[in-house]
Amino acid sequence: MTRDELEKNIVTILVDEFEFENPGLSDNLRDDHGFDSIDAIELLAKIEEMLGFQLTRKEKEQAMTIRTINDILDYIESMQDAHQS
Amino acid sequence: MSGNSLQPGGRGNPVNGLLNVLVTLICWGYFIFAFLFFFAFFYLASYLFAADREKSFQYLNFRFFRGFLWLLRSLAPRHSWNIDPQIANIRGSIIVCNHLSYLDPLLFLSLLPRNKTIVKTKFFKAPVFGWLVDISGYLPSTTEGIYAGKMIQQVEKMSVFFKSGGNLFVFPEGTRNPDAGIGALHKGVFKIARMAKCPIHVLGLSGTDVLFTPGKFFFNTRLRNKIYLKIIETIPSDTKQGTMTVSILEEKVRCAFQKQKLLYEGRLV
Repeated sequence: MTRDELEKNIVTILVDEFEFENPGLSDNLRDDHGFDSIDAIELLAKIEEMLGFQLTRKEKEQAMTIRTINDILDYIESMQDAHQS
Repeated sequence: MSGNSLQPGGRGNPVNGLLNVLVTLICWGYFIFAFLFFFAFFYLASYLFAADREKSFQYLNFRFFRGFLWLLRSLAPRHSWNIDPQIANIRGSIIVCNHLSYLDPLLFLSLLPRNKTIVKTKFFKAPVFGWLVDISGYLPSTTEGIYAGKMIQQVEKMSVFFKSGGNLFVFPEGTRNPDAGIGALHKGVFKIARMAKCPIHVLGLSGTDVLFTPGKFFFNTRLRNKIYLKIIETIPSDTKQGTMTVSILEEKVRCAFQKQKLLYEGRLV
């Protein structure tokens, strides 16, 4: 999946499932949209569905430091790369 | 506070003060000695031999706090306890309640044998207690450091836990709030409800702050007081129209708390 496709999918999920309003790629997820660790865990399940493979516990723990949508996209790309190699 | 009659003489009387000290020491003595000389053996046996260690620890917590509440109720008979009997039958649900006193979590632990709750992360670091809350499967309130893994593990298991009849009780105001207003509600519990598609039971509690007043060390055993714990409303998170959003769940719980406050103040019948 390209970064543009990932961005479109993630923004759709955040708007439809997490009630985000006009999310910006550099918004602070916690401060601007009230996105917390429980949301992050739910989003990880959706990312797994999107990517078609399971993330390990360690990979999920890495996601807990994500702060922006750009960080989410970087994270997904790095997971794609790691699972392809 | 309607529902609580505070008789004169409850405060300022040295005999009453002495009795308060005595009851408090006996109750906190139970915490130390009942654990060390009785329950510790069962916890150890469960740790070593139980097939489901988490479930076994939750049951031991239930028995331990049941003993504590029985002792407190026996030693403070002027406080009458009116616990809705239906609460003992709640299974596979999230339970949210207003928070008045440090007694409240102990009360919930004594009511249901399969319980989890969200615990401040600093308590996971405490000796013995931290070990107990960790093995009991309680959720840390934050995801700093090693607690990220624990949080992920517990949240991912919640659906299975609810399906097996377990309950998660939470005080969504986060801290004790004996005042009339309703504080800001933490959304985490509504997110778990949405994720696990389980119902939310909204409970209303009154009077525990009279028995154990925030900021005080000793129980007020000599006051005449009524403690109520009632089911105010049951909110399904998953309906025929689909799963409710976090905002709607939060609003429904807020309305239920508001209703409870009005009932408590005697403005509704």
